[in-house]
Amino acid sequence: MEIIINNSSEIPIYEQIKNQIKTKIISNELKAGELLPSIRSLAKNLRCSVITTKNAYEELQKEGYVKTIPSKGFYVSEINKELVKEEQLNKIQNLIDNAINVAKINDIEKQNLLDMIDILWEDK
Amino acid sequence: MLGLIKKDLFMIKDSIKFLIIILLIYSILAYQNKIDLSFLLPFISVVLMMTTFNYDSYNKWDAYVTTLPMGRKNSVKAKYLATLFIIAISTIIITILSFAIDYFQTNTIDYKTILTTMFLCFFSTSIIESFMYPVIYKFGIEKARIGIFIVVFSIAFIGEFATKHLNFSSFNKIYVFLNNYWIVILPILLILILYISYKISEKIYLKKEF
Amino acid sequence: MDNILEVNNLYKKYDSFELKNISFSLPKGMIMGLIGENGAGKTTTIKAILNIINKYEGEIKIFNLDNNKNEDKIKKDIGVVLDDMFFPEILTPNDINNSMKSIYKNWDFNMFNDYLKKFSLPSNKQIKKLSKGMRKKLEIITALSHHPKLLILDEATSSLDPIARREVLDIFQEFIQNEECSILISSHITTDLEHFADYITFINDGKILLSKTCDELLEQYGIVKCTKNEFKKIDKKDYLKYQKTKYEYQVLIENKKEFRKKYNINNIDRTTLEDIMILMIKGEK
Repeated sequence: MEIIINNSSEIPIYEQIKNQIKTKIISNELKAGELLPSIRSLAKNLRCSVITTKNAYEELQKEGYVKTIPSKGFYVSEINKELVKEEQLNKIQNLIDNAINVAKINDIEKQNLLDMIDILWEDK
Repeated sequence: MLGLIKKDLFMIKDSIKFLIIILLIYSILAYQNKIDLSFLLPFISVVLMMTTFNYDSYNKWDAYVTTLPMGRKNSVKAKYLATLFIIAISTIIITILSFAIDYFQTNTIDYKTILTTMFLCFFSTSIIESFMYPVIYKFGIEKARIGIFIVVFSIAFIGEFATKHLNFSSFNKIYVFLNNYWIVILPILLILILYISYKISEKIYLKKEF
Repeated sequence: MDNILEVNNLYKKYDSFELKNISFSLPKGMIMGLIGENGAGKTTTIKAILNIINKYEGEIKIFNLDNNKNEDKIKKDIGVVLDDMFFPEILTPNDINNSMKSIYKNWDFNMFNDYLKKFSLPSNKQIKKLSKGMRKKLEIITALSHHPKLLILDEATSSLDPIARREVLDIFQEFIQNEECSILISSHITTDLEHFADYITFINDGKILLSKTCDELLEQYGIVKCTKNEFKKIDKKDYLKYQKTKYEYQVLIENKKEFRKKYNINNIDRTTLEDIMILMIKGEK
């Protein structure tokens, strides 16, 4: 499993860890039931503090991506793909909502916005 | 505590080469009747123990030892036991050397005189160190050093002077005396002085801040 | 969470220096960094915890036991590296190993030798003939070889070159793989502790300025860089300290998120422990 930490990023390290594990779970690189490295060994190998990795795992647990079995460790949960998708759609909706707000404040046309999405989409 | 004694003994192993050379030189001098070997006993043991005190102080061992289990309580005790051990070993070595020198000089061994001298030397060396240690623990080796050298060398000098200039008849008297009473009284006195010295040093050390 | 170390209202007076009401606690399985300038009181605090000084007010508990009443019991499970205090330098690593074998019941003779090999330390060379870095490494492995539960390290990494420092920090992280074990480490070199310590306790002039998780300090604290006019708009209670330079105001704030919500100042930098330390000491209010 690869996790890459960027110390100069604005994103807190625990969030970077969380996001990367999450991506791996959604993309099925980490499969349901798989045992994750322990909080302590992850901290050691990433050269970060135990509290940081602990935070990352706790957040993942809260969001339902991992579950803990006491004195055994953290396992990847069986995730509901539909639910994840819905969650992601919600996120996108919020982002678009923001974009629309900015557009409206600055008197930018809807078509402009749609064109922009087209161009950006094709570029990826 | 055994570990603390070991540490003191490890510390002096480096001086052993130097001491063997001194012992050889002095044995030759003693063989030529230029010097009395017993003078070496306080010298050797005081120098050795001062070396340990010096290095202890230089590397702040006294502070470090308080972080070890039983360290604060046993550190002083270990020092006293290591000292007695070193005095005892030196006494044995010098006694054997004296026997040898006497034998080479006269073809006989005057056990009585040598043993009496060595016993007195053992006694006085232990007393010297008993006086020294509380001073060292109280003021630190740096400040205590000058005073100690004056005390040690004057006592050693008096001892040396006394052994050279007292005639045998008076020695015999002492020996007779020792045979009767002092052989019991001196050791008791020694133990008492050592114990008082140890208790004072311990009290100073337990209260010490580093 | 259980605390492995608790310091409550520690007070110690010297002629020219005072340690005032030092309180903090270190949970099991965690690393706490003690930072502050030279002479701020880090070493005095550590000396009180270890009873190297013993006339002080306040209460110190280690493994839930009073550090005075249960001194010997506690010290069996503590490993220490102190600044400038160690075995006499005339001894060799072998001598240390042989002495310690009789001092600690659970001294690990072989582990000590393995560590010597791992760090390429000669077992038969006198300490005084070792380089500064090697000497420090020797002190560290001496602190580790009786399998302690709490490591107390005073400036243990300051004299090491970057490679040795990394090796040593790796050992410390290996040490806390056991969640019963904790580390209290003091350093005036804050970069050593960044991202490595779980908690940071910052001592200045004998007082605790802050004691927080390292993440909180690095992720939430921020430095606002702004003009004089912008600075004037900031409410006094919304910043900790500020410093005026020739071209800008640098303002230390406790919570970037809250600050952004309230003020329309965008230039907020991430902080390092060093920034926080300097602004807290040198900054004005």
